Amino acid sequence: MVDLHPDRTVRVLSAGTALPGPPVDTEALAERFGMDRLWRQWVDTFIGTRTRHLAVDLATGEPRESLADLATTAAGAALVRAGVSAQDIDVVVLGSATPDTLMPATVNVVADRLRIDGIPTFQLQSGCSGAVQTFDVATALLATGRHRTALVIGGDVIAKHYDVHADLRSLPPELLVNYVLFGDGAGAAVLTAEPGHDDAPIVRTVLTRLAGLDREPGQVLRWYGTADRDRADTPANEDYKAIEELVPELAAEVTDELLDDLGWERDEITYLLPPQLSVTMTEKIVKRLDLPLAEEITVVGETGNNGNALLFFQLERLLDTMSAPSRAVAVAIESSKWIRSGLALERDGGN
Amino acid sequence: MSATLDRADFAGLVRDELGIDIDETELDRPFDALEGWDSVHLLTLLSLLEKETGAPLSLPDFLDAQSLASIYELVTR
Repeated sequence: MVDLHPDRTVRVLSAGTALPGPPVDTEALAERFGMDRLWRQWVDTFIGTRTRHLAVDLATGEPRESLADLATTAAGAALVRAGVSAQDIDVVVLGSATPDTLMPATVNVVADRLRIDGIPTFQLQSGCSGAVQTFDVATALLATGRHRTALVIGGDVIAKHYDVHADLRSLPPELLVNYVLFGDGAGAAVLTAEPGHDDAPIVRTVLTRLAGLDREPGQVLRWYGTADRDRADTPANEDYKAIEELVPELAAEVTDELLDDLGWERDEITYLLPPQLSVTMTEKIVKRLDLPLAEEITVVGETGNNGNALLFFQLERLLDTMSAPSRAVAVAIESSKWIRSGLALERDGGN
Repeated sequence: MSATLDRADFAGLVRDELGIDIDETELDRPFDALEGWDSVHLLTLLSLLEKETGAPLSLPDFLDAQSLASIYELVTR
């Protein structure tokens, strides 16, 4: 990040989140899809995710909430908590892998609903690194001095890929995992370069690095139009073996780079917000990151993997409890064309 | 549990249904040495074995198994 105005400290004022519907536990999924006890035991043992939230009616397949619905709720909550009005926001950045429509961009639908207008808005086509990417873009814009307060949003809704009538027994593993790993949700945060918020955590650094050279995508989401709507390619699939192998490695690289950049020691990290693929994957990654004193903030067991929203759920929990002084490191890895990303927050002073 | 499933049948099931190229003399190979073996294969195999043997299986009972031979022994003992 090029810091054009080193004196323009960017702080996180608040976070807000939104989840659709009631939590859907593995028992309910098994019942819906006619899966047996072995399957439930496999989910519990190898995925670990206990519940997820779906923007689709599990009984009928009817879509309920859109990404714009969830993002508007999350952003509204973040604005209220920050004590700022929609008119105080002078730039909006939204990240999603699953916009409601390609046009209009969902960010602008959300802005409209929030009565935000006449300012720059950006939408990033992004995977699990999307929340960090929104921070990267927003903090860079705030640092230029052209903007003062940013609303950053991330979320995903997989309803169109969630076929409640699917026969999970006949699905190959790379499609089966989608039904238990993922969930829907949205999150948002308010960032500001305005003075007078000394208690709010400072964004010390943000990094996003494409790591896709010569690597096949670990995750693919396709979209179709009138001419190719009957294509045989599956709309969504993932190379879960590549993900299991590569995500921990990239997460370790991000953590090392963040700490090196800031000159922070491993035992100086108070909170770790690790990648949230699944409970079992996150456990493996946390061990590998080896931050001995860091309190782990993990949400995926309850939220499911809701992609671009995850970091905001973790941030919301962090902001509720973050002591002063303290340091937090967040890491997110996008496994489509492989992006490693992370950010570091710090609260100054003491109580 | 089943008197009818011998090691050759078991290896055939693994080969035909899981697509893992193995014969009955190779069942002792550790999972680490089995190309492509993962937890989804374990789930699929246990589901198939339930059908073959007609006896309910519990996945946690198999988590310490280090090879296909260990699974075979657990199922047939």
